[in-house]
Amino acid sequence: MAEPAIDTNVIKQRLAALKGGRFKTWLQLCAHCGYCADSCFFYQAHDKDPKYMPAYKVIQTLGKLYKTNGEVSKEELEKMASIAWGDCTACRRCSMYCPFGIDIAVMIAATRAILCSQGLAPDALMDAVKNYWEFGNQMAVTEEDLSETLEWMAEETEEEMPGLTIPFEKEGADMMYTINAREAKYYPQDIAEAAMIFYAAGENYTFPKMGWDDTNLAMFAGEMKCAAHVVKLCYDNAERLGVNRIGVTE
Amino acid sequence: MYEFVTGPLAWIAFGIFIIGMIVKVISVIRLTSQKDKVVFNHWSWGWSFRSIYRWLIPFGSRSMREKPGLTIGVFVFHICLLAVPIFLLGHSIMWDERWGISWWSFSEMTTDYMTLLLIAAALFLLIRRIVLPEVKIVTTAYDYLLLAIAAAPFITGYMAYHQWFDYKTMLIIHILCGEIMLIAIPFTKLSHMILFFFTRAHIGSEFGQRRGAVTF
Repeated sequence: MAEPAIDTNVIKQRLAALKGGRFKTWLQLCAHCGYCADSCFFYQAHDKDPKYMPAYKVIQTLGKLYKTNGEVSKEELEKMASIAWGDCTACRRCSMYCPFGIDIAVMIAATRAILCSQGLAPDALMDAVKNYWEFGNQMAVTEEDLSETLEWMAEETEEEMPGLTIPFEKEGADMMYTINAREAKYYPQDIAEAAMIFYAAGENYTFPKMGWDDTNLAMFAGEMKCAAHVVKLCYDNAERLGVNRIGVTE
Repeated sequence: MYEFVTGPLAWIAFGIFIIGMIVKVISVIRLTSQKDKVVFNHWSWGWSFRSIYRWLIPFGSRSMREKPGLTIGVFVFHICLLAVPIFLLGHSIMWDERWGISWWSFSEMTTDYMTLLLIAAALFLLIRRIVLPEVKIVTTAYDYLLLAIAAAPFITGYMAYHQWFDYKTMLIIHILCGEIMLIAIPFTKLSHMILFFFTRAHIGSEFGQRRGAVTF
């Protein structure tokens, strides 16, 4: 966890921005009935320890933030981070179990965004957000890294499929192909395998130099500006290359 | 006193209840269209009604089926809560005397038993709050107060009907309790009486329309 000072004003702004029709109604309505408890696998896996029941987790995080209007200590925020990141996967099963249809998981996700704004998020996630801004992908793969990896993979398949090339920056292709940054960084053979299928199928596709990472960890971090940036990169490059479709592997 | 609680105070209570609910609904819709436009982007009437319907019928949803005891308790509580005051003979006669409007009503024995059922269900909900750890941990004094507000008109009504203690006093207490409940509805969690339909419609659209649920 990073260690910047807490900016209460930012928390306040975020809380105010969230308080639309949905959050206000949800926070008002919860009848504390307990229907959500059994939906949660954290609760089930901890021998039904009530601390893990979904409504309680929201009360301890977002609920507390609203009650105090963001005036909480660093220790309290850290406790909230432990709940919001560690005791919930935001799978939304509880949201389906709630008789009022309160989207409990979305409230945890909103809490995560607030925590993230205070640097209280898993390091890997914070790094990914930084990398999206700087490199356009979560794993800091440069344009050069990618084009070299593509060439290398084309060479690797030479024996099996003579004549195979992996198109890069080809304008007017039918499809722009996007991948998980992990493929370019750690598992280039995945790229080679996909390329072989495309080659055999006679697909007219291309890798772009930017906007090829179709993961969006910024969304999980609640960094919506960055999340929008990632999606925009993808669409802008598809438009620039004049393709008809975007292929998404994730 | 009786004239006051059945006259001006009744007007005030019904007025606050009806106007309060209208204001509540308008403000929720306004706030949503100002700050939560995303709700309308995925709105689906089909999924909304499907979701509301599923949660209005007993055991209509998975979580209701997983907790059959609570489901029965909750449905008994809500059905009696709505039906008894509307279809009680004594209330009907009052409407008829004051306004000349009358409608069908249950026999006195039926509403008597329904009131007992409601009190039993309220007790069940109360005990649940105290006994079950996963409910206790989220329960606050406010939850007990709401349960008391909702159950009080029925307990006092039962006592008045059976002429326990002084009938006239009991009746006034009963009417006051009813008016407190009406006034409380727009300002408390009891507003789920109407907001339930909105939140359910939203989540129905969310999981049905937006997440592209398919039914076979």
